[in-house]
This record gives sequence, structure tokens and C-alpha cells, in this order.
Amino acid sequence: MTTTSTNQGGAVPVTDTASAPVVVVDDLSISYAAGRREVPVVRGAGFEIAAGRALGLVGESGSGKSTVARTLLAHLRRGSRIVGGSVRVAGDDVFALDERARRALRGGTAALVAQNAGQALTPSMRVGRQLREALESHGLPGGHDRVLELVRHVRLPDPETIVRRYPHQLSGGQQQRIAIAMAVAARPQLLVLDEPTTALDVVTQSAVLELIRDLAVELDMAILLVSHDLGVVSSMADEIAVMRDGVIVEHRPTAELFADPQHEYTRELLASIPRVHLGDGDRAGESGRDARSLRGTLSGIAHAAHVRAAQVLAVARGEESAGDSGAQAAPRAGSTEPVVAEPVVAARDLVVRYGRGLPAAVDGVSLEIGRRETLAVVGESGSGKSTLATAMAGLIPAESGAFSFRGAAGLEGDLTQSVGRRSADLRRAVQLIFQNADTSLNPRRTVGAAIARPLKLFTGSSSPDRVAELLVEVGLTPDFAARLPAQLSGGQRQRVGIARALAAGPELIIADEITTALDVRVQAGVLELLTRLRDEKGLSCLFISHDLAVVRGVADRVAVMTGGRIVEVGPADRVFGGPNHPYTRTLLDATLDPGTTELPGVGDGRVRWRDADGWTDHGGGHHVKNWEAQ
Amino acid sequence: MSTTTTNGTEEARVASAGRPDAPKTVGARLRGLATGVSSSISASSALGIGLGLIALHIALALLAPLIAGHDPVATDSTAALAGSSWSHWLGTDQYGRDILSRTLHGGQYALLVTFLATTIAVSIGTVLGCITAYADNWFDEVVMRIVDALLSVPSILALLVVVTVFDSGLWVIVLAVTVVYAPAVTRVVRGAARTVITQDYVTAARARGEGSLSIVFREILPNVLDVVLVEFAMRASWIVLLISTLSFLGFGANPPTPDWGLMVQENRTALTVVPMGTLAPVVALATLVIGLNLSADGLSKTLGVDRAQKGATS
Repeated sequence: MTTTSTNQGGAVPVTDTASAPVVVVDDLSISYAAGRREVPVVRGAGFEIAAGRALGLVGESGSGKSTVARTLLAHLRRGSRIVGGSVRVAGDDVFALDERARRALRGGTAALVAQNAGQALTPSMRVGRQLREALESHGLPGGHDRVLELVRHVRLPDPETIVRRYPHQLSGGQQQRIAIAMAVAARPQLLVLDEPTTALDVVTQSAVLELIRDLAVELDMAILLVSHDLGVVSSMADEIAVMRDGVIVEHRPTAELFADPQHEYTRELLASIPRVHLGDGDRAGESGRDARSLRGTLSGIAHAAHVRAAQVLAVARGEESAGDSGAQAAPRAGSTEPVVAEPVVAARDLVVRYGRGLPAAVDGVSLEIGRRETLAVVGESGSGKSTLATAMAGLIPAESGAFSFRGAAGLEGDLTQSVGRRSADLRRAVQLIFQNADTSLNPRRTVGAAIARPLKLFTGSSSPDRVAELLVEVGLTPDFAARLPAQLSGGQRQRVGIARALAAGPELIIADEITTALDVRVQAGVLELLTRLRDEKGLSCLFISHDLAVVRGVADRVAVMTGGRIVEVGPADRVFGGPNHPYTRTLLDATLDPGTTELPGVGDGRVRWRDADGWTDHGGGHHVKNWEAQ
Repeated sequence: MSTTTTNGTEEARVASAGRPDAPKTVGARLRGLATGVSSSISASSALGIGLGLIALHIALALLAPLIAGHDPVATDSTAALAGSSWSHWLGTDQYGRDILSRTLHGGQYALLVTFLATTIAVSIGTVLGCITAYADNWFDEVVMRIVDALLSVPSILALLVVVTVFDSGLWVIVLAVTVVYAPAVTRVVRGAARTVITQDYVTAARARGEGSLSIVFREILPNVLDVVLVEFAMRASWIVLLISTLSFLGFGANPPTPDWGLMVQENRTALTVVPMGTLAPVVALATLVIGLNLSADGLSKTLGVDRAQKGATS
């Protein structure tokens, strides 16, 4: 924030500005009636936000952060009630207001931008009309010019066209901009942002956050930013309040919090976050490694991954010096031979299309996954990375190109075939872990039955002992076998998903965005489990993710995809170290590491490069697709 | 429902195969089911009242020979069109038959036909709905066009034609009602199944190479059961009315079989003399239909099924 120039140093938590704070939440307690019991959701939360300042509220799902945020708009979930304390916005106790005054508050004094703009906009109404309604409902003139001005205000190109569109004709980022335009239409004093960018990919996220920041400065709004993403919060907020189980455990200025977290939970939270941008010292090399491994488990894994990657490469070059960590493996410039020695999966010019006449979702992709190697495929939504995973699992047949599997014990198979035509052995060898553990387990089937099924199908027997063994392997207890998925938490469900994949005894695991739906701490646990099992069992892994920070922790090699093509591939260290393809650069720059207090300037996210023929070899198996500036 | 019981035993078998203490788990499962039912009844008073009315009707129909006191078909010319008295609580009809006894017995036919027809129609519709939803190919197209054709024929008209061509035997009516109502069930279940199919656990089953039927019965069917249950209660109430309509029109139960529809038809000319002859079967029919509708409503609430969301059309 630019307003950090008025920084109040030291321990003084809140405002020393002349005007009274816009938001005063005092000792707020909310409880929820579950049957006859009263469950406290928020306990004694209190904070103030002055005009032009931003407070970030972070915590895991269920910590009560959204509940608190919505009280600022005098909204309570059905069944909840205020037990104590008060919420004052612009001097008024919001829960003492009558209906009329509440309507004036909502959208007038305080506005909300919800997580999923696609659902916040009315699908059957043109966005121009929705914007006009936002203006007129607060007694403002809703003329065409005013609407266009709003659209321009949120930096959408070609306002005349945009206002005539329906929400589904806009991209996620554009929808969120429209939602923001509606929120700021009546020039509110307070903007409540509830996970405003969670559904967006990193590049769009940066652009939207930049817009919000600039608008906040321009309109001198107070901002409450609710997010589970510490990167987003740290780049936007002046202060951060960490919530856990309805209690604010720590509330300090952003920089202080990251430099010296006081509460144990905050420290735990910070340690579990994967990071992309290593500090300058880290980048230098060996000395940085030690610092990095101190950063907690994930970074430890990252370290191991780098060493492993180097080993895989060393093997590939026939340098069987296993004792050597391989860190100084000499780049062999201009080499065009396969990067990995024994590819488990090899794709050549693979094309996958969802339907005749549609553009190819995967367009001429060539890649290899070595034995015991993890290849991460990263890219924004729509880049074709998930389609690649789906094709590898045989759920959609490949249109053209070669796609072969060569497992241990001489198992060979053609991955261009759909799953029905594959041999049982090949199906066993290639297993899929799903993004959303909530929907990947049959809600009517016990955990035991879910794991027993692939056991029975692929190994012929499903003894309860084996099921229990698998459950223990993924960090659960054998008694989980009798539970239904609804009785499990998100992280536990994802562990069951991993156990189900392992039950078949696979050689290749396809992990498709497996941690996107999880909180950071849970995510760290699941990733740690996956990497441990992978190393123990010697599995190969295709790891699909949009989150570069997660990828950095688990991948040996990284392939960057956009528009159905791979534009860069190489060992994780080299890809993150550069030199990069401009698209990779954009992704890297847009990724917000927690602790960064500045937003990266990604501009409007427009593509400034054009594909060119050929590849540039940067050595060490690091290849970048040629491009020319546009 | 035959399909669901198949599935239920399958699930129990898997569960028992997965654990040595199989009988205990089955017992636990049944207990779980019982607590589930009792908790949903306590959660919705509509469901409780509805199920109570249905249970009352079934009990009365089963116990009718024991509690009626009179033979429902025995005529008595000396006591024709009599008002209520100690021997005939609700009076007698034009042939001197006891109205109370006929009303109590009248439920037997309607309940039996309704139960059989609903079970068969909903079973077929459910299986067909799941299969067409999963197939999503030419088979789906063909079945759904046939369904369209069947849905476009007015149900009472179709039934009249069937009953006229064949005789009005129990199984003819049951099968005719099945043909009339299975298409609508197919539609509804297909809509519900299509949302289930997009779930990842179905994808997971496909990815491990399960057979189509295995996916339909193991993954999809258990997850549309809530819709099917509501559908069952709802169709049952319509079928009761349809059966009674048929009897009223003279195409259902044959005289002198005691039947509500038939009784209304027989006694409506004497409505002013012995109003009970018409009112008693009407009240009986109405309470049964109300019971079924309340159950359907209560079920849909406790199971969280919003019929509008699941694409129910007819």
C-alpha cells in the first residue's frame, strides 16, 4: 500500500489518524445454534480499520474469518446470533439498524466483493444493467455514461462492448472486475473482500489486486481482506489479524508479523507455506540451501527434490556416480537426446481434442517422465495441463502423436488408448489422484470399501489387513475404514484418495491439483505424505498444479504449459532460476510470496510474445521454446 | 425395489468381505439405518404424519377380515340403504352390504395394485434412467425418444385402451400403470444421475476400468436413491388415484369386489339417502393420498432433494 508512508511504527496497533476509524469491532462474539447446543463461532474478536487502511484477516476454513467479515454488512448466517460485543461501521452499530438503514449500509457505506464473481452476478442480465442497478439502488444517477465510467474505472477494455455482455461471456478476471465495479459504484467507505482472488489464476490475481489497491487509495476506502492466502494478504494489507477457532490470536502490522511472529500458530502457519521466490542469499547456492531447509518441512522436501533431480539427470547422462550429489552435473550444451534415461512415460507431438472442430486442448506436446521422477506441469487455467493428465489416465483418447508407457518388469502400453482398451496391468500401473477429494469419494461408501475396491480389482483380494495397512501408510488409523467420507476432513479425504491410488500398486501417479482445495497447513501435510510415499515406493509422478510455490517443493522437473503447448521444460532449480520464457517469467512474477509487501506490476496481463520455431537449450536439460517480442 | 435391494446386499457383501466380524457390521448397518429413519421422522413432522397414515391404511387393510365384523360382499335385502346403527356403524348400501366392512376391505385392492405398480414402475425407471444417463450415446437417444412418445399419451386414455383390449386382471393393470409411469420416473432419475456422473468418484471408477454396469449399480444408483425414494412416494399417490379412477369408470375392480372407486360409483346415486356410502371411501382414499404426499414432501425435505433442482418434469 502506498499509504504505508503514514506507518505507525512499533506496538501501537491501530490508527493514529485524525479521523475516527471507519470500522470498530469490539469484543464480538457469535455463536451458532446446532440443535440444542450453542457452538461459539467467534469469540471476542476486536479490531479497528481507519479510512484508507487495509486489514487482512487470515485463518483456515472454519476459523470464523468469513463470519466476522460479513457482520460488517450486518449479515449473519441463519441460526447464528450475536452473543456479545458490537460492530460499528461509520459510527453506527450495524445490528441496531432498522431494515431501511441496513439496506443503505449494504452497498452504500460498506460493500462486499465475494469469492466467486461468476456466482455473484445474475446470469440472465447484461452486466451493464446490473451496474446500473447498483447505481440506482443507492439513489445515484444510472445513466449510460455513468455505467461506462464505472467499467473504465475498473480498467476493463472496450466498455461499450463489455456492458452489453452477459456474465458468462466474460472471463473470471473480468467478472471479478465487474463485481468490484458494482461494489464501488456508490463510493462506499468500507470494502469487504472475501477471498476475492481465490478462484483466479496468479496472473489475473495480481492484476485484480492491483486494481483493488489503486481504487482503495483513490476512494480512500477502509478495506477488510479475508483470505487463507498469506501471500495475497501480505501484499495488500497494512495489518494482519490471524484467526483460529474464532479467536484472533495475533494482530500486528504486516511486516512485523512476518519478521517476528509471536503466536505459535502464526509461526506454524508461516512455516507451512510453500514459497517460490527464494531470498537472494538462497539463490546463490549451497549456503542458501541450509537457510532454506530451516524453513520447515516443505522446504526440506524441496531440498531433497533438488538433489534427487540432479541424480536423475546424472543417471540420464550415464554418470553412475551415485555418491556424488550431482549438484555440479555439467551441462551438455546442444544435446538433443532424451533427458531422462528410462522414461516411464514418453509423449511425442501429442494432440488431444475434446471434440471435432474445437481447438486442441493439448497441442503437440512432447515430454518424458523418468523412473522415480516427478514432472510438474504448471500453467494457468485453460492451459491444457489437466487435459494432459486426463489423457494420461485414459479418460479421453489422444487424437494423434505417440504416448507410450514403459514400466518395470517389461510392462509396455500405449497411453493414446482410452482406459477401456488398456490392459489391466497398464490400468494398475497408472493411477489418478483427484483435485477435489470431496467429490472423488462416493459419499455412500465407507472409506474401507473405497480402498478395498481397487485392491480387489487389481490384486484379486481385499483383506481388511491390507486396507488397514494402506490407511496407516497414509497417516490415518485402521478404524477409518468404517467411516463415511462425510465424517472426514478435507485433508483426511485427500489421504484416502492417495491410499486408494496406492492400493492398486501403481508405478505412475497422476496428481491433478491435489491440494488446491486444502488449507496451507493441511496442504503441507498432504504434500509431505505424497513425496514420502513416492520416494519410498519409487513411483514416478505427474504433478499438475497452477501453484508454482507448491511445485517448487515437490518437482524434480517442471514443464510450463500455455495454450496447449509446453513453452519451457527443465529441472526445477533451473526453471525457477532462469533464464525463462516470458510466460514463465509472468507466472513467477505474479506469484505472491507471503511477506512481500509489494504487488508485482504485471500490468494488464496481456501477452507480449509470439511463438517462434525451435527451442533454446540452456543446458542441464533446461529447454525454452523460442519466442519473439510482439 | 429390486434394484436397490440388489445394491444393498452388494454393499453389505463388500462390507462383510472387508471385515471378519461381518454379522456385527450388518447389524450395525441396520441399526444405523433405523436411527437414520427415526431421526428423519423426528426432523420432519410431515414425514411422521404421512408414514403414520400409510401405516394405518396398511394395518387396516391387512386386519380388515378380523375387525370388519361383516362379510363385505354378503347382501342383505332386509337392511338395504339403512342408516348407521349398532350393527352397521356406517350403514349399508343398496344391496344391504355393510359400508364399513367394504371400506376397510376396499383398501386391499388399491394398496396391492399401487404397491406392485409403483415398485415395478420406479424400479424400471430408475435402472433405465441411470443407464441412459451413463450411456449418453445412441441408446440414450433411442430410450429418451420412446419416453417422449409414451409421455405424450394421456395416462388414463392409455390405461382404458389396455384394459379394453385385454381384460381388467390385476397384472394387466399393474403392467399398464408401469408402462404409463416408468417413463416419467426415467426422466427424473436420469436428470439426477447426470449430476452424479460428473462427480470424480465416477471418473475414478472409469479410470480403474470398471464395467459400465458396475459403475451404474455401485457408484451411481446409491447416490440417486434419495430422489428415487421421493419419486416412489409421489408416484404412489398418483397411482392410487389412477386405480380408483379406473374402478370408478368400471374398468378396474369387478363387482362385487369391495373397492373405493367402485363404491363411490355404486353409491353416488344414493348420495342423499346414505351419504356415508360415498363419503367413507372418499375419506379413506383422501387420507391415503394425503399420507403419501406428506411422506413425499417430508422425504424430499429430510433427504434434501429439491425436485426443481433435479430437473423433475412431470
